[in-house]
Amino acid sequence: MASEKKDGYRKNFSLILTFIILMSVLFLLSLVLAYRFSTKYIENEFVSEKVNVLEQSIQPYNDFFQKKLPEVSFYNGYLDSATAAAFVDTVLLEYPFVSKVVFYDSEVSNTPVSDGLNTGKFSFGPKNIYQFGSLVPLDSVRLFSRDNTSSFIVGDDFNTLALKLVSFIESLDTTQVPGQDALFSNFSNVRSNKITYLNIPRFEDLKVYKEMLRKQLQPNPVYQQDMMSFQLDPYKIKIINTQPLLYQYVKIAPLTYDPLDTTAVYLSTEINLPGPFSDYKLYFISSKSFIEREIFSYFLPIALAILFFYGILVLVAVLIYRNLNINQKMFKLQYDFVNNLTHEFKTPVSVIKIAGNNIKSASSLTDRELKLYGKILDEEADKLNGLMNKLLAFTQIENKAIELNRDKIRIIDFLESTVETHRLKHPDFDFTYEVSGFTTFVTDPVLLGSLFDNLAENAYKYSPPERKQLHITAKLAKGKVVFRFTDKGIGIPASEINNIFKKFFRIQNQYNQNGSVGLGLAFCKELVNFMDGEITVKSKVNKGSEFKIVLPYNDY
Amino acid sequence: MIGLKKYFFLILVVFAFACQRQKEPRTIPVEDFFKSQSRVGYRISPDGKNLSYLKLEGKNRNIYVEDIETGKGKSITHLEGMNIVFYFWVSSNELIYYKEIDAATNQSDIFIVDKEGKNERALVSNEKSRLRVIEDQLIDDKYLMVSSNRRDSTVFDVYRLNVRDGGMEMIAKNPGNIVDWRTDSEGKLRLATSSDGVNSTFLYRASESQPFKPMLTSDFKDTFRPIAFSHSQPNIIYAISNINRDKAALVEVDCNTGKELKNLFCNDTLNITDAQYSTKKRKMSFVVYETWKKEKYFLDDSVKQVYEDLDKLLPKTETRIFDMDEAENVFLLRTFTDKNPGSYYLYFVNTGKLRKLGDFNASIKEDEMSEMKPVSYHSRDGLLIHGYLTLPLHEKAENLPVVVLPHDGPVSRTLWGYNPEVQLLANRGYAVFQINYRGSSGYGKNFVAAGFKQWGDKIQDDIDDGVKWLVKRKIADPKRIGIYGIGFGGYIALNGLYLSPSTYACAVSNSGVINLFTYLKSIPPYQKPNLQMYYELIGNPLTDIDKLRKTSPLFQTDKINAPILLVQNSKDPINNQGEVTQFVKNLKKRNVSITYLEDDGDMYAGKNQPLRHQFYKTLDEFLEFNLKRK
Repeated sequence: MASEKKDGYRKNFSLILTFIILMSVLFLLSLVLAYRFSTKYIENEFVSEKVNVLEQSIQPYNDFFQKKLPEVSFYNGYLDSATAAAFVDTVLLEYPFVSKVVFYDSEVSNTPVSDGLNTGKFSFGPKNIYQFGSLVPLDSVRLFSRDNTSSFIVGDDFNTLALKLVSFIESLDTTQVPGQDALFSNFSNVRSNKITYLNIPRFEDLKVYKEMLRKQLQPNPVYQQDMMSFQLDPYKIKIINTQPLLYQYVKIAPLTYDPLDTTAVYLSTEINLPGPFSDYKLYFISSKSFIEREIFSYFLPIALAILFFYGILVLVAVLIYRNLNINQKMFKLQYDFVNNLTHEFKTPVSVIKIAGNNIKSASSLTDRELKLYGKILDEEADKLNGLMNKLLAFTQIENKAIELNRDKIRIIDFLESTVETHRLKHPDFDFTYEVSGFTTFVTDPVLLGSLFDNLAENAYKYSPPERKQLHITAKLAKGKVVFRFTDKGIGIPASEINNIFKKFFRIQNQYNQNGSVGLGLAFCKELVNFMDGEITVKSKVNKGSEFKIVLPYNDY
Repeated sequence: MIGLKKYFFLILVVFAFACQRQKEPRTIPVEDFFKSQSRVGYRISPDGKNLSYLKLEGKNRNIYVEDIETGKGKSITHLEGMNIVFYFWVSSNELIYYKEIDAATNQSDIFIVDKEGKNERALVSNEKSRLRVIEDQLIDDKYLMVSSNRRDSTVFDVYRLNVRDGGMEMIAKNPGNIVDWRTDSEGKLRLATSSDGVNSTFLYRASESQPFKPMLTSDFKDTFRPIAFSHSQPNIIYAISNINRDKAALVEVDCNTGKELKNLFCNDTLNITDAQYSTKKRKMSFVVYETWKKEKYFLDDSVKQVYEDLDKLLPKTETRIFDMDEAENVFLLRTFTDKNPGSYYLYFVNTGKLRKLGDFNASIKEDEMSEMKPVSYHSRDGLLIHGYLTLPLHEKAENLPVVVLPHDGPVSRTLWGYNPEVQLLANRGYAVFQINYRGSSGYGKNFVAAGFKQWGDKIQDDIDDGVKWLVKRKIADPKRIGIYGIGFGGYIALNGLYLSPSTYACAVSNSGVINLFTYLKSIPPYQKPNLQMYYELIGNPLTDIDKLRKTSPLFQTDKINAPILLVQNSKDPINNQGEVTQFVKNLKKRNVSITYLEDDGDMYAGKNQPLRHQFYKTLDEFLEFNLKRK
């Protein structure tokens, strides 16, 4: 039997240990991998995020290029110095990277010009040139006029774009409207730190320009053209560091900038600026410790998540282990119960069998023998019956299959009869009682009797022969009936006190070697619960125990 | 008995439901409003015996000639597609038609054909020049007087075109600035109009052998429109003139002196816009003046009688006679009201009989259309502004969503009559508000001049004041007012969004001007007088640069916040396509809801019906989303 037990419930510590070790290894491994991943990720971010910084920082320039620059065209050549000044003011205010604007108020005509461009019969030259900017002194706003050509030579900016215009017109296909992109690229000139833009005339005007290249038109047409040259300062671009935790310093530097002191403690990357700023780049630099901080702050939540999952796994393992333990105990209790029950049934059955055998084998029986055997058979049958009733009642109560009767009882009469019954059974039982505060009480007398019998039996059973005493006090307190069963028995060890009301639980000792099922107190608890009451116990080993039952008091 | 009551109740319920149904007008499909007719371009032959029209069969449109007496007709051309843009009778037996070969440059081949469809020959084919007809009846059964720019593409000379052999003989050479030629009742070329784009000079000669001499000059603020030469006195012309007057009058002018001899019709409150001369009776028939609709004042009692007879046959409807035979016996006429697009009729004067030819649009049912009511209000500076209000059918004139519809122009006007666009919007549940803002024609010279240099200024105020007037009368829901216009109307609509930002919930611009600089630039710089006129009309881009910028939608995208539906013809010379793209881009960057519809043709040309349907469907959805959701 013992070997069977071992086979059924083996606590395999090595298995659990292996599990825990493997789990921990996995935990550590995932932490290491997470850290490696974080490092790689942040290093990649450092390289790739610079595009975003560039995009954000260059956004005002794109805005200027796509939205503000075409506005020059909206005026269709009608810009004068005052309106141009107002226009430039808004540009300078909105786009700080524009440092100076030169405005060429120009004309296209068939009359040759001295300053400007003459190709065939086509002439394109400035009437007036103005410069605007925050640092331009008021007296040098006008750089050039037809009356006073000496102070300024029509510069490179004007001529480059004028040449571009002429070559565009020369190759213009007059049957097809040119696309917006072609127009834009032919009427603007983007160079290092400078954008020159000429207002785009309507297609009809372009066709006339083409005619003007070859022949003198009559009457001599004059078309207004506005050219603006924007000087740009790349260092005035406002850098928007979208990743301040990634990039410690961002600056604009010439394309050739490559400092030698970037030792191992620094991480750096760069990206070229577009368009007129293409001689410059955005230079990003961060110290390694700065990056490490970022890696750690990226790694931390991942680590916490891993830890959290690991914690849950461990918790689940603990819970499974506990459940297994409880199940094992339960199995043991049931096993013991079957053992005891068998034993319990065996005794009366074997007595009945012996009596039966004796009767069968005897040739004749005396009257006294007959009475003895009858008594034995009757008693043992009662015992069996009582045993079975107890089992049945317990199951019924546990399943709430019976109904509570409500009878009014006189408590003194009830206690008296209980005491009488037990004194008859056990003449050596010192059984006393006292009542205070009430005389009658409504309850189920059968259940209450059963409860008192059980507790009285226990008190008798678990007391040494010289101290078989039980004292019952019944009193009314705070609208409740309180019964106290005080004995001088062997007591219950403190470690077991929580278990005594459990089914099939027995304390192993000399008093219950046979004839105990471990149902008594569990049955009592079920009864009290069924009657809406409470049962508690206080006990000292070898001094005695006190069971306290509190029941609701009803008097009607 | 109870059962009977039940039935009675049921019947009552059904009846009530039916009534309910009637009150809820059905949503008429967009296509129904803009159906193109299968027969257009009705004409009568000069002898009054034949009726002709262009008939659409499948995808082809050809000329049909029908014998009026028997009603039998047949097609005399067999062309594929819809290329016949124009045709007319040159004699009782022959017709001339224009076959379009290039829509963009307005170039056509010209053919002559007899009424049986035989003897077809090309008069002009594959030429870069254009031909205009001055006198549409054959002279000596073979000559047609035409003007053509074959010598110089910029000017039109007058030719005698021999329709038999196609020969052209120049009879008057254009010195360079003649824009119009006119003949007298005998078909002699005796009046020419020269123009520098602003001032028109009328030149006269007593006979074709004499040179033209200037008679009088009018500037662009004046109207002087010759109607006909007097038959009895060859030196006298009838003309509509508002020179030295506010309201135009019908006057007799001595061509030798250019002086007015007498007023045939002149009134301090009525503005003449048209007049008709009868060649048969050799006298003026009537003048047309405009109040809230066109009305006639008869100068000839027999003509008055004809119209009165017609009114008895066709009561409560407007009639317009648009063609007649030489004997003035057979009339082609069209009827209409504000709720009915009307029908075509033949009217025989001597028998007093009327024959219906066909409906203009049979899908439109009069009882489903809404009434167009003339309204007027005072603008903030006290000027009386006229307009029209069309309310949705069966709806209380209270808290309605409104679509303001400023007309194109600005020198043009909204007139009473059937308008499919207005009826479509009214059917969708909007009150439609049409305003003849200052600068509109039809109300006299001063009213037109009041609109000069007021683009985006007082013209805009007139519109806004009209809206305020509607809101004050609780007809309009101030939160659900949209504005939609074509051309100049589209410009007004876009301006409304930033000049009075809280007034309009959305705007629709179809081919609206978005940049006044570009608009001014479209006039060639060497046309100085023309340029000067536009400077006076709109503003001088050099001195008024600030004002022009403030009233050009292109510069104001930062102030526009309401949803826009923008429709633009990519070949429209008035707008620069690049600027339109920029306008849309700038608005999109600011997350302003903009629906942009680009087309590459004139959606009002007969051929472009799918384009038109697409536009009106988009318009319908756009207004529904922006005006009805709230």
